[in-house]
Amino acid sequence: MRLLSWPSITQLLLAPLAVASASDYNDYSENLLLKSLPGNSILASFRFVSNGTFDSHHSVFPRSLAQILQQSQTKELHLKFTLGRWDAEQWGRQVWDGRTAGGTGVELWAWVEAADDSEADARWTTLNNALSGLFCASLNFIDSTRTIRPVMSFQPAGHHSPERLERLHLLHGTLPREPVCTENLTPFLKLLPCKGKAGISSLLDGHRLFDAQWQSMSIDVKPVCEESGKCQLQMEQTVDMVLDVERSLGKKDSPVPKPPPIEQLSCDQEKPYAGGDSCFPLSGVTDLPWSLSEMFGRPVRGSCPLAVVPTEEATHVCVNIAEKRSIFVSQGSEERKRSPELRCFTLHENLDFDIVLPELSPSTNLLLTPPPVYASRSLTGHGQERGGIQAVLNNPSSNSTVEFVYLESLPWFMKPYLHTLSATISGKDDGNIIQDIYYRPALDRKRGTQLEVRLRVPPGETVLLNYEFDKAVLRYTEYPPDANRGFDIAPAIISILDSSSQKSTFSIRTTSLLLSLPTPDFSMPYNVIILTSTVMALAFGSIFNILVRRFVGADEVIGGSLVSKIRGHVMAFVAKKRRAGGDKPKTE
Amino acid sequence: MSERLGPDVAATIASAASAAVAESKIFPESAVSISQGKKSPPPDTPENTRVRSLVILSFWVVVITVGLPLWWITTAIYRAPLPLKEMQSWADGRACRAEFPLLIDVEALTLPDPEGLLKTVQHALDDANDFSAHHLRLRLSTNSSKVEDGEESVAATLRLSQGAAGSPHSYVLSPSSRAIDLFYSPSYNPTTLSAFVASTLQEIFAEEQQMISYLLASSAPAPSPSPSSGGGNGGNGVKVVNKVNTAEIARKMSRIVKYSPMYHLTFSLFTAAGDPSNWEIEEAVSEYLQPLLDALGGISGFTVDSQIQFYASLSSSVVPTWVPDSEKEEGEEGEEGEESASGRYILKKEDLSSFINSAEWPLVSITSYPAINFIIYIPAADQSPLVIPTSSTNAFLLPQWGGVMIHNPPAGSDNTHLTKEALKPALDIFATQLLSLLGAPTHPASLPIRLDSLTRQRSAELLVSASSTLGSLYRLTLALPSISIPSSVSTSVSSTLSSLTAACQELRHGRFGGALEEGRNAEEQAEKAFFEKSMVGQVYFPEEHKVAVYLPLMGPVGAPLLMAALKEISRLVRVWKASRLKK
Repeated sequence: MRLLSWPSITQLLLAPLAVASASDYNDYSENLLLKSLPGNSILASFRFVSNGTFDSHHSVFPRSLAQILQQSQTKELHLKFTLGRWDAEQWGRQVWDGRTAGGTGVELWAWVEAADDSEADARWTTLNNALSGLFCASLNFIDSTRTIRPVMSFQPAGHHSPERLERLHLLHGTLPREPVCTENLTPFLKLLPCKGKAGISSLLDGHRLFDAQWQSMSIDVKPVCEESGKCQLQMEQTVDMVLDVERSLGKKDSPVPKPPPIEQLSCDQEKPYAGGDSCFPLSGVTDLPWSLSEMFGRPVRGSCPLAVVPTEEATHVCVNIAEKRSIFVSQGSEERKRSPELRCFTLHENLDFDIVLPELSPSTNLLLTPPPVYASRSLTGHGQERGGIQAVLNNPSSNSTVEFVYLESLPWFMKPYLHTLSATISGKDDGNIIQDIYYRPALDRKRGTQLEVRLRVPPGETVLLNYEFDKAVLRYTEYPPDANRGFDIAPAIISILDSSSQKSTFSIRTTSLLLSLPTPDFSMPYNVIILTSTVMALAFGSIFNILVRRFVGADEVIGGSLVSKIRGHVMAFVAKKRRAGGDKPKTE
Repeated sequence: MSERLGPDVAATIASAASAAVAESKIFPESAVSISQGKKSPPPDTPENTRVRSLVILSFWVVVITVGLPLWWITTAIYRAPLPLKEMQSWADGRACRAEFPLLIDVEALTLPDPEGLLKTVQHALDDANDFSAHHLRLRLSTNSSKVEDGEESVAATLRLSQGAAGSPHSYVLSPSSRAIDLFYSPSYNPTTLSAFVASTLQEIFAEEQQMISYLLASSAPAPSPSPSSGGGNGGNGVKVVNKVNTAEIARKMSRIVKYSPMYHLTFSLFTAAGDPSNWEIEEAVSEYLQPLLDALGGISGFTVDSQIQFYASLSSSVVPTWVPDSEKEEGEEGEEGEESASGRYILKKEDLSSFINSAEWPLVSITSYPAINFIIYIPAADQSPLVIPTSSTNAFLLPQWGGVMIHNPPAGSDNTHLTKEALKPALDIFATQLLSLLGAPTHPASLPIRLDSLTRQRSAELLVSASSTLGSLYRLTLALPSISIPSSVSTSVSSTLSSLTAACQELRHGRFGGALEEGRNAEEQAEKAFFEKSMVGQVYFPEEHKVAVYLPLMGPVGAPLLMAALKEISRLVRVWKASRLKK
C-alpha cells in the first residue's frame, strides 16, 4: 500500500483551480477537504474561489471588497484570522503549505500601488480602516508602529506586470491580541455568493468553528492572468479548522462539557497507580464514529448553484482517511475515488448531503508528513528591565538542508540588541547558519523593529536563535485601558525558501508571546501634582511668614489668637468642673 | 478676684506661661497679673512697618505681573478671530437677498406689435408674481438670435407663431430643447393672447418657483415676503397655479439627496435564489441611463457600479400576504379547482419602509461622496409574483436613499440571464427616481428647462445650507467658550463668506452656472470649518479637572498671601482713620 503524501493531495485539489481559471470571468467554485488526524481529530478545510473582473460591475466577486481594493489601490491582499496553535508534532504539515494560515490574531499584508512611501502609507491606512469596517475587526489599529515592510519573506502570488511591480509596496501588519470570533465569520460568509445558505458553506457555524482546537479564516485576493494576457481578479477564501471528535460528539448530549463517568474512560491499566479512582487516559485506541451532521450540527444543504459544475477533477467534498475505514454517504451524491485514501463526492443540487464513518478499532492513522521545520519561540530572562527571546528551529529531514527566513515584527517598546543575536547548533556557531540579516531598528512611538534573518539548518539539526532586549518604560496613557495582562508580541513568521528560486514555498508561524512591562500606579500623575504642590506651598508659606510676621513675646500678644481664646475657655471650664468634683467629698 | 480663682487656675496659667519664660523673662510671681491684663508689645518701629508693607507689595506685584500672565499664556486656548457679525447676518438671511431673474427670449416674427404684447405680458407676470425674488423677464430677440448678452443664460425661448385656423391658443414644449412653441389662434386678440402667454410661462416655472421660495423661506422666515401671503389678491386665473401647496413641496424636498458634486450610483440585483446569475447591466446603463447622466454632468458627476447578490432574504418583519385573484374571476373559473395557481403576494405599505434588509444586504459604499442605491429585487419562486398594489410600476422610492423595483420574471422564461431589454423598464423607472432624488422638478416636459431649474434650485440650496452651517458655527463658538478655534477655521470662514457673496452676485446677474460653482465652494469651505478636527479636542476637558489640578498649589499659596494683604489693608485703613481723627 502506497501512502499518499500531502503535496500530491494538494496537487490533486489544486487541479480544479487550473480548470477554473481557464473558463470565463465571474465564476465560482468551492470544495471541502476532510482529513482524519491522529488523536481523533479531523481537519476540515473549506475553500471558496471567486473570480471577478477589474471593472465596477460585480457578480460573484463581492462589490464591497472590490470597492475597498479600488479605493486603496491595493493589487494583492492577504488577510488571516487565526485562533489557536497548529500542533505540528501531532498533526504534521499544515494544509495548503501554510499559505492560508496566519499568526494568532489578525494578520494582513498587501501590495499597494503608490508612487512613494508616504502615499503607500496613506493608502494602507485607507485599506485598514475600510477592512476594519467590513470585517468588524480592529484592523484600524494597525498604525505605523505595527506596520513593517518585509524584504525577504513575502513574494507576490498574483501576476503583476513588471512596470507595476516597481510601483508596488508591500506592507504587513499584525494584531496578535485580536480575539477572532463570530462577528468576523458573519461578514466572511456574506462575501460568498451562496452566503452559507447552500453548498458546503452551509456547514459553517460560529458555534462549531470557534469551538475548534485550531482554526484559521483567510482571504487572498490576487490578479490571475492567463498566457493569452486575459486577466481577472481572483479571491480565495479558506476556512481551516481542527475539530476534536470527542468534544464535538459530546455537544450532542449536553451543551455544557461534562466529565465522562469513570466507567466510560479508557484507562492505561499498565500504570502503577491504575486503580478504581485513578486513571491515565488513553487516547487513540479506537477511531470514534462520526458524521458530518454530528460534527457541524447540520448536514450540507444541497449544492450552491453558482459553483461551477463538478467535473471528473473538481468535486465538492473529499475525504482523506485510512483505506481500511469504511464510509457511508447520503443519497444523491456521486462518489469518485481518486486514490485508496482520497474519496471525493459531488453534491446533489437539492438534497442534503451527509457522511457517516463507523467506529474503527484499533485506530489506524494516516502517515503524516512532517513540516520542513519545527519551530517554537519563548521568552527568557526575568525582571522588569530586560529579557531575551529564544527560538528553537528543528529540521526533521534526514538528508536535506533547509533554508528559511525568520521574520520578527517587534513593538517599539521591546528594544533588541542586535549584537546579542546568535544562532547555535548544540552550543556552537560555525558561522554558516546565519546567511543574511535585514534589520530595521525601531523609532520610539513611530515604528517597530523589523528583523529578518535568513538561516540554513543542516539535516536533523536544531538551531537555537537567541537575542536579548530591553523593555522600555511607557507613558501612562500608552497602557491599554483594560486590566493589564501584558502586551502580546506578534508571532514570528518562518518562510521556507526554495533552494533554487529563493522564493517562499511554505510558511510557518510560531505562537504569540506575552510580554509583561513594568506597570505603574495609574493615580500617580495626580499624586505627583498634590505632593509637589504641598512641598512648594510649605516652602512658600514658611518663607512668606518669616518675612511678613512680627514676632513678639507670648505675653505681648494683642488680643490673642482665636485658638488661645478657645483654649482659655476650655481650661476654665475644666478647672470649674474639677473644683466642683473636689468640693463634694469635703462637704460630706 | 484672684483669690476666687484659687491655686489650681493660677498654677495652670503659670505652667502655660512657663514655656515662654526663657525668652520673655517673666517670673512665676507675675503669672497672676497675666489674667488681669496684658503687657503690650514694644511699639513697632515705622521702618519695620514700611518694610513689611513693601514685602507684601512685592509679592503681590510678582504674582500679578509675572504669575498671572504666565498662567494665562500657558493655559490660554487659541481662538482665531471670526467675522461673527457677518456670519450671523448670513445665517439670518440678511446678507444676501437671493434673486433669480429668468430671461426669456421671445421670437415673434409674424406678430404685428410684439413690443406691445411683451409689455402687457410682463405687466401681467409682475402683477401675478408674489415671490419677487424669482421673476421672469421677457426680451424680444432680434433677428440674429445668437447675440450673447454677457454671460447671462437664457432660461427659455418663446417662439410665437400662427396656429391653424380656428384653433385656440396652444403651446408645445420640445423635450430636448429650451424652446417653447406657442401657437396663437388666427383670430388675433392681444388681450387674450397676452393672458395666455403669461399663464403659460407661469405654469412652466411654477414648480421651480415654489421650490425655491420654500427653500429660502425655510432658512430665513423673517426677511423675504412670505410666499403664501400674496396669494389672495387679484382673482385672475394665473394665480391659481401659484398657490403654494406647502405640504406637497415639503414632501418633495424631503426626498432630495443632499447636494454633492459627485454621486455614486449602485445598481444591485437582489435575488432570493441562485438565479439569474448574470445581467446586462453594463450595457443597459450605458444605453438607457448614460444620456441622462451626461446631461446632469453640469450639476453633478456620477460614478456607477453594480452587483448581484444571491440568496438575499427579506428581513423577518416583511411578510408578503397571499391574495388570490379577484373573486369574480374565481367565481367564474373556480370550478377548475386551481385555487393556488392564480394569485399574487402583496406587500403592504408598512412593509415597504422595512423592505431593505440592511443587516444582511451589503449596500454600503465607501466612497467619500454620497451613494444612491437602485435595487432590483427578484422574489423567490414560492413568493412570486410579488406585487405592490399601490404602484403601477411595482417600484417605490426611498427618500434620500434610492429606489427599489420588484421584478417578477415572466413564468416559463429562462431565468438565468437578464437581458438589456428586460432591464429597460427598470432603468426607465430608476431614471425618473434619480431625477426626483436629485430634486429636478417634475412638471415641464422639456428636460433642459428642468435641468436649468435644478441648477437654480441647487444653487439656492447650497446658499441656504452654507449660510446655516455658518450660523451653526457662530452659535457653537459662542456657546462653548472653551473650544479652540484654529486659524484654518478662520480662513475657511472668510473663504465661505467671499464665495457666498460671489454666488449672490452671480444669481443677481442671472449667471446660474457660476452661482452653482461658487455655492459649491462655499458649502465645501463651510463644512470644512465646521468639522475642523482640532476644535472638538478640548471640549471634553471639564472645568472641574482644572480645579483639581490647580487647587493643591493655589490654595496653600494663595491663603497666606491673601491674609497678609487683608491685614495690611486693615492696618492702612486704621492709620488713615487715626490721621483723620487727629485732624
